[in-house]
Amino acid sequence: MSQRLGARAVLFGSAVLLVAAFAVGAVSGAYAISLSQLWNVLTSLGQGAGSQSPEHLVFLNIRLPRLVLGVAAGAGLGMAGTLMQGLFRNPLADPGLIGISSGAALAAGITIVLGASFWPMLPRTLGSWTLVLMAFGGGFVVTLLIYGLSRSEGGTRMALMLLAGIAINALAGAGLGLLSVMATDEQLRSLQFWLLGSLGGARWSAVILVGVAVLLSCWAAASLASPLNAIALGEAQAALLGVDVERTKRRAVVITAVAVGAVTATTGIIGFIGLIAPHWVRMVAGPDHRIVLPASALLGAALVLAADTVARTVMAPAELPLGVLTAFIGVPMFLLMLRHFRGRI
Amino acid sequence: MTAAKGHGALACAAVEVRIGAKTLLANASVELAPGRVTAILGPNGAGKSTLLSVLAGQREPTQGRATLDGRPLSGHGMPMLALRRALMPQESAVAFDFTAQDIVALGRYPHRRAPTRDEDAIMAEAMALTDVTALAPRILNTLSGGEKARVHLARALAQLWHPRPDGASRWLLLDEPTAALDLAHQHSAMRLLRAWAARGVGVVAVLHDLNLARRYADEVVVLGAPGGLRQGATADVLQPALIEAVWRMPCQPVTGADGVTQYLFG
Amino acid sequence: MTEQRDLSFLSSSSVPRRRDALRLLSAAALGAGAWPAFAQDSKRLPRLVTVSGAITEVVYALGAEGQLVGTDTTSLFPAAARATPKVGYMRQLSAEGLLSLKPDAIIATNESGPTVVLDQIRTAGVKVEIIEADHSWGEVQRKVQAVGRAAAKEVQARELQARLDAEWAQVLQRIGGAKGRKPKVLFVLSHSASPQVSGEKTAAHAVIGFAGGVNALGGFNGYRPMTAEAMASAAPDIILTSTQSIEAHGGVERFWQRSELALTPAYKKRALITQDALLLLGFGPRLPAAIGELHDKFRAALA
Repeated sequence: MSQRLGARAVLFGSAVLLVAAFAVGAVSGAYAISLSQLWNVLTSLGQGAGSQSPEHLVFLNIRLPRLVLGVAAGAGLGMAGTLMQGLFRNPLADPGLIGISSGAALAAGITIVLGASFWPMLPRTLGSWTLVLMAFGGGFVVTLLIYGLSRSEGGTRMALMLLAGIAINALAGAGLGLLSVMATDEQLRSLQFWLLGSLGGARWSAVILVGVAVLLSCWAAASLASPLNAIALGEAQAALLGVDVERTKRRAVVITAVAVGAVTATTGIIGFIGLIAPHWVRMVAGPDHRIVLPASALLGAALVLAADTVARTVMAPAELPLGVLTAFIGVPMFLLMLRHFRGRI
Repeated sequence: MTAAKGHGALACAAVEVRIGAKTLLANASVELAPGRVTAILGPNGAGKSTLLSVLAGQREPTQGRATLDGRPLSGHGMPMLALRRALMPQESAVAFDFTAQDIVALGRYPHRRAPTRDEDAIMAEAMALTDVTALAPRILNTLSGGEKARVHLARALAQLWHPRPDGASRWLLLDEPTAALDLAHQHSAMRLLRAWAARGVGVVAVLHDLNLARRYADEVVVLGAPGGLRQGATADVLQPALIEAVWRMPCQPVTGADGVTQYLFG
Repeated sequence: MTEQRDLSFLSSSSVPRRRDALRLLSAAALGAGAWPAFAQDSKRLPRLVTVSGAITEVVYALGAEGQLVGTDTTSLFPAAARATPKVGYMRQLSAEGLLSLKPDAIIATNESGPTVVLDQIRTAGVKVEIIEADHSWGEVQRKVQAVGRAAAKEVQARELQARLDAEWAQVLQRIGGAKGRKPKVLFVLSHSASPQVSGEKTAAHAVIGFAGGVNALGGFNGYRPMTAEAMASAAPDIILTSTQSIEAHGGVERFWQRSELALTPAYKKRALITQDALLLLGFGPRLPAAIGELHDKFRAALA
C-alpha cells in the first residue's frame, strides 16, 4: 500500500512512456512510411528542401505537427487537471469544472452557426483562425465569470466556484442546444465534430502557439506545487503556514484557463485526460504535487498520443474523433475511481 | 504578572468578533508571555476557539486588535508569523492520501527557503515526541482520531523546532489538543507542552478538561465568567466559586498525594 | 434560363490543351508521376478521390471508376461506390488518410473540409479541385469538367456534358411549357429529432424552382426548425422530403402524424413526394432526370 515509487522513478517512467508513445505515433498512420523512409526523412532534416519525397511531406507537414500538438494538448490537460484537483482538494475535479470547455464550446458553436450571418467581417479578417480565437476567448470569458461569481468576503470560495461552475456550464449547454436547433445540417455536423475533439488538421503555426502557451503554463505551475501540498491540509491551515491561498487560487485558475483554453481552441474538447493522468500518477507516486504536476503532464501527453494513434489508424483512411476514444477509456476509469474513493468523497 | 509590552508578548486588546448579528467574542483583552503554559477555558460557545484564532492571526477581529511584540499581527504578515507561530487545529480534513510523514513535513513549509541541515532529524524527533514514529508511512486518513491529533501535534512542533536566530518568541497554539487522545497520551502531551514552555516557547491551549488545566497550566484565561474575561495564575483564578458560576457545576477541590489540587464534579 | 452560360462553358472547355502541357511539366518537376493529359491510353491514369456523392456519380458516368481509389461517406450511388475505401465524412477529412491512397487528384465541393487538411493535401502535390456549390446547372457542369480534367478524360467529359446539357434543356423546355399554376412546395429535412424546412439559397429551393414549383417559404436563407404556425401560414400544396427523412420518422404514416403538418393543404390531400436525398439534392448527372420526375409528380399531386 505504501510502496510508493520515488520521484525520480516516476518522472523517468512517465518520460519513457511519452517517448515510446511518440515513437509509436511517428511510425504509425494511414500513410505507410517504413522505418528506413522515416530514417531518411529525419537525417535529411538538416539539409534544406532537397528531396521532398511524399513521405517527407507527409511526415513533416502532417504527422509531426500532429504529434507535437498531441504532446502539448496532453501535457496541458494533465497539468491543469492536477491544478484543479489540488485547488478543489478533490481527486474527481477536472478543468471543465471552471467552465473552460463549455465556454470554448459555446463560442465555437456561436462561430459555426451564427458567425457567417452576424459577424461576416470576423471570418474575413481572421480567416481560418476565427474559430480558434473565438473558442479561446469564450473559454477565458466563462472562466473569469465563474471565478468572479465565486468571490466572497475573505476571498474565493471553492464551494461557490463549484456551484457557479455547474450553473454556468448548464447555461452554456443550453446555449449550445439552442444553437443546434438553429443550425443547418452542415453546421450541426461541423459543431458535432468540433465537440468530439480531434488533432487533425494541425498546422505548424497553431501547434507552435499552443506549444508555447502550454510550456509557459507548465513553467508557471511549477511554483504552485508546494502551496498545493499545504492546501491539502485545508485552506485555513495553509494560510497559517504562510501560503498566500488567494494568490495560489488565482494563479491556478489563470494557468488552467490559458493552457486548457489554448488546447481546446485548437483541438476541440478532449475529455478525461485531466482526470485520469493525475489519478494514475498518484496511485504509484503518492499525492505530492511536486511529483504529480510534472508526471501528469508527461503521462497526459503519452495518453493523448496513444489515443490519437489509435484514432487515426483503426478506421483508416478515415479517423475516429479523439474525444470518443478518451471517453471510452475515461468513463470506465472514472467509475473505477468512484468505487475506489467511495468512502472519502 | 503582566509581561513587559514588546518583549515577545502575544496580546489582544478589547477584541470583539461579530458575524452578522451574532457576537462570538466580546471585549477580550489578554496579555500572554512566552515560557508559560496558558489554558483558555470556558463553556461551549464562550468563544475559546475564536479567541485562539484571533491570537493566531487567522481571524481579523471586528473591533480591537491582536499584537505580537507590540505590533499588530496583520503588520507582521502571515509568512513571517508562520516562522514563529504554529496552530494545531481541533480537526482537519486532509485531502488525498498523504502519509503521516508527509503531514509532519508540511510543518517545515514556512522554513523551505532557509532549510537547516537537520530537516529529516527534526521530523523524526518531532514524531518521536508525540509517539507517532511507527505511523510515519501510514496514510493519515486511515488513522484513528487520536493518532491523527498526535500527527498534527508533531507537525506543529516541527514548525517551531529551532529557536529563532533573532531570539524572537515562539508560540504554540493548540485548539483542544487532548480532545481525541486517550488518557495516557493526554498526560504525556501536556507534559510535553510544559517541557516546551520550559524551553521558552509560549504555549496557549484551549482545553476542555479543568483538571488537566489545573495540573499543567501556569495561567488560565476563563471566558464566560460573570464580569467578563478573567486571566491569572491557575490556582488564583480557578476557585470553586468561579467554576460553579461559569460551568454551573458544583465542584469540590481535593488535593492528591502529589500535592496537586484537582476538582471533583457532580 | 441559363442557356447562354451553358454555351460559354461548352466553348471554354476546349482551351486547356496548353494548360495540360504546363501541368505535365510541373508534375514532372514535382516528381509526382507523369500527368498523362494527352495520352489517355497510357498505362498510368490519374488516381482519383472524390468527396461528395454527385462527383462520384460523375466519375462513374465517365467510365473512370477504375481510377477511383477513395470516396467519402456521402458517395452512395451507384452501389459499387459504397465498396470503395471511405475517407470519412466530407467535412472531417483526414490528411494522412487521403494521402495514403496515393491519389493524383481530389475533387470536392466547397463544403468539404477542414480547409487546413485540403491545404496540406495541396502541399503534398495532390491536385485539389474545389467546385462551388451554388445550386445551379453550372454546378453540375463544373463537376463534369473538373472530373474530366482530373481523370484525364476530357473528351469523354465533353461528350457527357453535351449529353447532359441537352437533357437539361429538354427538361426545362417541357417544364416551361407546362400550363397551370405552380404548386407551393415545402421541403422538409429530417435526419435527427427536429425536422427543418428549407428557405432560400438551398439545394432544395433551387430544385423546387427548376421542377416548376414555388417554395412555400421565403424571406430567409438556409434551414429553420419546422413550426406549426409557419407551416400554416406557408400553406404548401405539396410536401417534398427525402426517403431518408421518412425512414428517420419511421414511415409515411408517422410523418403525417406530425402536428405541424395538420393545418396544411398538403395534409388534406396527403400530397407527399419523397426522393432519395442524393438524387434530389446532389446536383449530379442524374439531375435532369430527377427534375423531370419531380415535375411529373408535382402535376400528379395537383390534379
